[in-house]
Amino acid sequence: MTASRRLPLLLIPATLFLLVVYVWPSLGLFRNAFNEVGPTGAMVEAWSLETARTTFHDSFTFELTLNSLWLSAVATLIALCLAYPVSLFLFRTDSRFRGLLAVVAIMPMLVSGVVRVFGWLAILGDRGLVNTTLQSLGLISAPLKLVFNWTGVTIGLAESIMPYMILALLAGFGRLDRTLEEAARSLGASPFRTFRRVILPLSLPAIALAAGLGFVLSMSAYITPKLLGGGRVFVLATEIFEQATTNTNWPVAAVLAIYTLVLLLALLVVSNLVARRLQR
Amino acid sequence: MSYLELAGLQKRYGNSVAVDDVSLSVEQGEAVALLGPSGCGKTTTLRMLAGLIEPNRGTMTLDGSEITKLPAHKRNMGYVFQSYALFPHLSVGRNIAFGLEERGVSRGEIDKRVQEGLALVRLGGLEQRRPKELSGGQQQRVALARALVIQPSVLLLDESLSNLDAKLRDAMRHEIRSIQRTLGITTLFVTHDQVEALTMCDRIAVMHRGRIAQIGSAEDIYDRPATRFVAEFVGRANVLPLARDGQGRATVWEQLVPVEPAENADLFVRPQRMRIVPVSEPAGGDTARLTGRVLRSVFVGDHVEVLVEGAGGQLTVEMPSGSAAPAEGTEVAVVWPRSESRVFAREAS
Amino acid sequence: MTGAGRVLSSLAALVYAMILAPIVVVVMLSFSADSFILFPPSGYSLRWFKQLVGNGPLLAALWLSVRIAAVVTLLSLAVGVPAALALAKGRFHGKDALASFFVAPLLLPTLITGLALLLFFSPLKLTATLPGLVLGHMTVTVPFVIRMMTTALANLPDDIEAAAATLGATPWRVVRRVTLPLATPGLIACACLSFLLSFDETVISLFIAGPRASTLPVEMVRYVEGRTDPLIAALSVVLIVATLAVVLVVERLVGVARAVGK
Repeated sequence: MTASRRLPLLLIPATLFLLVVYVWPSLGLFRNAFNEVGPTGAMVEAWSLETARTTFHDSFTFELTLNSLWLSAVATLIALCLAYPVSLFLFRTDSRFRGLLAVVAIMPMLVSGVVRVFGWLAILGDRGLVNTTLQSLGLISAPLKLVFNWTGVTIGLAESIMPYMILALLAGFGRLDRTLEEAARSLGASPFRTFRRVILPLSLPAIALAAGLGFVLSMSAYITPKLLGGGRVFVLATEIFEQATTNTNWPVAAVLAIYTLVLLLALLVVSNLVARRLQR
Repeated sequence: MSYLELAGLQKRYGNSVAVDDVSLSVEQGEAVALLGPSGCGKTTTLRMLAGLIEPNRGTMTLDGSEITKLPAHKRNMGYVFQSYALFPHLSVGRNIAFGLEERGVSRGEIDKRVQEGLALVRLGGLEQRRPKELSGGQQQRVALARALVIQPSVLLLDESLSNLDAKLRDAMRHEIRSIQRTLGITTLFVTHDQVEALTMCDRIAVMHRGRIAQIGSAEDIYDRPATRFVAEFVGRANVLPLARDGQGRATVWEQLVPVEPAENADLFVRPQRMRIVPVSEPAGGDTARLTGRVLRSVFVGDHVEVLVEGAGGQLTVEMPSGSAAPAEGTEVAVVWPRSESRVFAREAS
Repeated sequence: MTGAGRVLSSLAALVYAMILAPIVVVVMLSFSADSFILFPPSGYSLRWFKQLVGNGPLLAALWLSVRIAAVVTLLSLAVGVPAALALAKGRFHGKDALASFFVAPLLLPTLITGLALLLFFSPLKLTATLPGLVLGHMTVTVPFVIRMMTTALANLPDDIEAAAATLGATPWRVVRRVTLPLATPGLIACACLSFLLSFDETVISLFIAGPRASTLPVEMVRYVEGRTDPLIAALSVVLIVATLAVVLVVERLVGVARAVGK
């Protein structure tokens, strides 16, 4: 059809938009990483690795990296343990409400992050649901410190990445054939043994992909560590934001951003490789 | 020059050739079937004719003017899709009116011709319905009416009956054939169903691997297949491996048969052309004859299939039901007119 | 063996409780009569909803967010739908590469995008302006629209469009009379989700918003950082109800899981 030759013209607005508002700023971010910070704190145009050198010699950068990795690992693990049964349930249920249940499971994804953080403040705060319940039961005398520290951030983060992981797991469950399960059961395996010997091994690739996704999302999350951390939790994401806005130290922010991006890419590559290896 | 001429049409997808050198002439008012198994290139040929696919080589000419490069919307071909492809967001009436609206026909004229179209396919009164509220057969008729009201130069039907159940398909076959005859519209009909091809068309083009293997009347194709493929694909055939005796004469089951001897070839005979006679009955001069033992007889409604086993294999004879089938285990002779024998070489595999 | 089994269902129910907990707590808290976050509240009232109606900065931010989301949605559809049409219906070299280019921004964290936009907008004096925020949100919504609509358009049966062509419709008429009408449910769903994406966008806005132009999520972050009273809960309830309405519309049209998933 002759007109289909003119069809690619329709791509021009979107391409121009992304080139100007996405690609060009991204290149600018890279460019800024080579600028230097002068003695007064003002930015000096340059093409040097000085900013990168001082940033990576700072032991604080190392601490931030460990914090980010540890936080993401714990949050991902918790989220995985919670998301897996929900996904398996949604995959296998023949309930009439399956569609509705799926929507509820990914609901947090659609509700503003600030709203959810606020909910956690009300649950985990000094006078929140958990502490008032435990106190009225006489189990504790003073409130437990559950927010404005790592505990709160980890819980909030785990909840916020869960819907994404549920979707990733559901997508990966495609290989789980119900007849395989039935075959295992007919061969005499108990439901638990069937899970361990058939379902779990077959869903390992999906788990690897979901874990990779959860990890990446945790590493780059800003709102949750910021608000539930109450200024006491320092990770790469919070530091990038602080450097860029409060300190207006763009070169350092750019260096940290690129550094974080490299870490994320490495993580994605690893989780994809693991998933592919497990698929065999 | 014929009304519609396809010359040397070819369509490649990467390294695979979907249609390889198809040439075909169709007279005005004629109905031609493109018959073949799936993947033989028949639908691709039809889509090229409609302008939905561009050929890599070859030309198409309609009524003296070349249409090879003409885009689909300028060809005036009525295409009835296998899936019907009715517009789900438009009513039956608007579906049928679509082509007329695109041609800028006046409102009054459109209404008149939509009514005529509905009447033609016997769907009067259903113009307000949505396609999904219709049965499969009714949807089929809407698709047909939609293609006919634009008064197309050629009507193209793509496996149009394959989604209907057997009984409805039979009724639609005759209905479409009679509409085609009444309107005298030139028709190309793609099908993999030989009964459809044999009953609905004046001529049949059997396609195989992107080429036309044989083109001719139903009788030509059935009784005088040009290639081994046509003989196997159209109708049923007993395939009997040919051998030679010590003197170089042609044999089947170590019995002489009156055909030219050939290497690596098989003898094809239609089961309906064979008769079973007592072994004692002598062979006539113009008949071929094989003896064997009746393995079993199967009653299939309108005929009886008798399976006969010989020294080197089996064959099937179709006898009209009602005639007395020989008992199992009986030694019989199978005879057929010499002219019904066809010899085809085995394909190198 | 049918269904999910008792053990699995119970486990899932527990997790569902956790998923819903923050939302349920926020709803209950919004009707609190207390002046601070206490759960369960010592009494119930509508005082925080009354406070909300009188809160100038939050209402101004809400109005700004609505306007931005509306403009972002319209522009994203205008830019994204034609591109999706070309990707879904066109056959040309480099199509797959272009398709990946268009969805790449969805894979990068908004933290990075936000920083890049801050550095880009500052010299242009676009930070804390409406155009700046609109362009910033569009880095998320345009790729989203392209991805969702490419899938939606590619899933339309080819034969229906071919039928329109054989009936004499020019390619542009086919798009107007067949393709777009058939894609309408998908288009509406896509518009709803773009609106939500822009309305909820927080990180990019935090980078490029300022006192003169502050969106609702930015104002909420600032409020939560500074004070802890149930006002935000009341606002959250309003947002949750609005979001639910949009989600239901999308679910009816195309299914949420399909729309937000890959």
